[in-house]
Amino acid sequence: MPIHEKNLVDKDRLLVKEEAKLDGLDVSGQWSTFIEQRILGDYSTDVLDAVASTPAGKTIVNCWQCGTCTAGCCMHTDFGLREFNPRYFIYLAQKGAEDELKKYAPVIWRCVTCNKCVERCPKGVRVEEVVHSIEGYMRSKGWMGDTPASRWDEAFVKNTLQTGVLDELALTRSYVSREKLAEFNNRFMLRMALKLVRTGRIRTGPLRHRVKGWEKVRDVAKEILEGGGEG
Amino acid sequence: MSSPRILVVGGGPAGLSAAWDLAEAGANVVLVEEEGFLGGTPKKLHYSLIAPDLKPVQEVLDPLVRRVEQSGVEVMLNSEVASFKGSGDGFHVEVRRKGGSLESHVFDSVIAATGFAHWDPHKKYEYGYGVYPDVLDFKDFERMLSEDNLRRPSNGETPKRIAWLLCVGSRDKQVGKFYCCRMGCVVSIKQAMEVRQKHPEIDTYVYYMDIRTYGFWEDKVYWRSMEEFNVKFVRGRIGSINRGEDGRLVAMAEDTILQRPTEVPFDMLVLATGMEASRGTVEFAKLAGLELEEHGFIKPLQSDSLPVHTTVEGIFVAGTATGPKAIPDSVSEGSAAAMKALNFARRKAVAERQQTR
Repeated sequence: MPIHEKNLVDKDRLLVKEEAKLDGLDVSGQWSTFIEQRILGDYSTDVLDAVASTPAGKTIVNCWQCGTCTAGCCMHTDFGLREFNPRYFIYLAQKGAEDELKKYAPVIWRCVTCNKCVERCPKGVRVEEVVHSIEGYMRSKGWMGDTPASRWDEAFVKNTLQTGVLDELALTRSYVSREKLAEFNNRFMLRMALKLVRTGRIRTGPLRHRVKGWEKVRDVAKEILEGGGEG
Repeated sequence: MSSPRILVVGGGPAGLSAAWDLAEAGANVVLVEEEGFLGGTPKKLHYSLIAPDLKPVQEVLDPLVRRVEQSGVEVMLNSEVASFKGSGDGFHVEVRRKGGSLESHVFDSVIAATGFAHWDPHKKYEYGYGVYPDVLDFKDFERMLSEDNLRRPSNGETPKRIAWLLCVGSRDKQVGKFYCCRMGCVVSIKQAMEVRQKHPEIDTYVYYMDIRTYGFWEDKVYWRSMEEFNVKFVRGRIGSINRGEDGRLVAMAEDTILQRPTEVPFDMLVLATGMEASRGTVEFAKLAGLELEEHGFIKPLQSDSLPVHTTVEGIFVAGTATGPKAIPDSVSEGSAAAMKALNFARRKAVAERQQTR
């Protein structure tokens, strides 16, 4: 029977074939649309095991799906990004529902690390870290490449490792030019920098703080980072 | 004043506790037990570890049994109450030993500690108990754990993945069981922990509607099972069990968090069978004229303030005869009923003495 009311079917599950042949008989046209079944045929521990084995992800097993994290998540609530639901990401990872998890590659990196979730979780799940660990798993699977957030993290770490103190101006400048962020034009940057220096929010250039004996600390930090973050 | 004579019916945790306390207080106690041993259902069905401390059942119950045996209680094993008549001078009771001999006694007061039975999951045909050998209930699985013999009954292999289904014969209008068994959650999760402790390679899933591990069971059992043993939880009640092509069981359920139907294969399924009044409880209630409450258990005179009184004066009740209860609760109620039974007997003795003066 042809499928009526396709609007009621999850779009991802509608399969339209160019041509449909049944025993050599061409039944294309109305007959070439199929609905993929919704039944989940198995649970798997692959994602959970991978995430729980990372230092950032080990508290994933604590989660009991109460939703406190999502209820306070600024991405989910204030920014209105409905698809960004840390509680749900954790569940998909716990049950190994990879086909579903995959769909969230475009949004899972959107966390702004406000850490309200970590502060509020009644079960001690380090939600922000766990979600980043799940994101790492998705990247390792090739479901997503680097993102503005991961490039920021990279630039952040590189900048901090130089002297042990973050140079905000240099970081912003390098990041903005790399990402070609139009709204951060030279005039804007200059005005912001002057304001920040004047109010003492940042110190840059010769005024910048330095950490004494940073080289030793940096070596240890590098070693930890290369070892996947296990301290 | 001679010592009061008190009958305790049932040698489980509640009956043992009552009998010991009464003997300590100087009463003449007769303990009637239908099985050939003391310890009640936990012993009879070979329970394994007891939550929340995961202590072997012997460690929990043997001290109780020993105390009773050493306290001068007259223990009548393989015996049951054959007839029961209350009158002015006490309760006239005939006890029948297995084999037929009847013994007559007169008691001043009586404690019913006649216990519970696990609900029979055959009645929930959609779960395939009795059809698929790998579908087990609580008593089957506890025995398997206590004998350290975790194998699929169908082929003798060690299972790779086990599921638990909570609330089988509880919270279910279809089978007329409207109440919560209070034990299913904690026992299932305890079993999953026990499995993971001995066989970390076995994956464990608990299908639940709510998790009711109240009080200290929350962190000591529920949280620990997730955080230490990685027991997994699925919110949804299994609708039916099918046989997969490879001989495994397939659990048809809705994962209510994913909002998707699931057909997940398992090697074994354990049904968390609820508690109902035991045959002994129902029969004794009938003999002694005790009222039952709406769920089929013995009715306390007042469920809030007089929980161990029955509707018949001089007969008291303790443990799971009045509803689902954990072992420590049964032990406490045994002591409570002992106090009430002793007071009743003493009051009666005083009244008799005053009359004869």
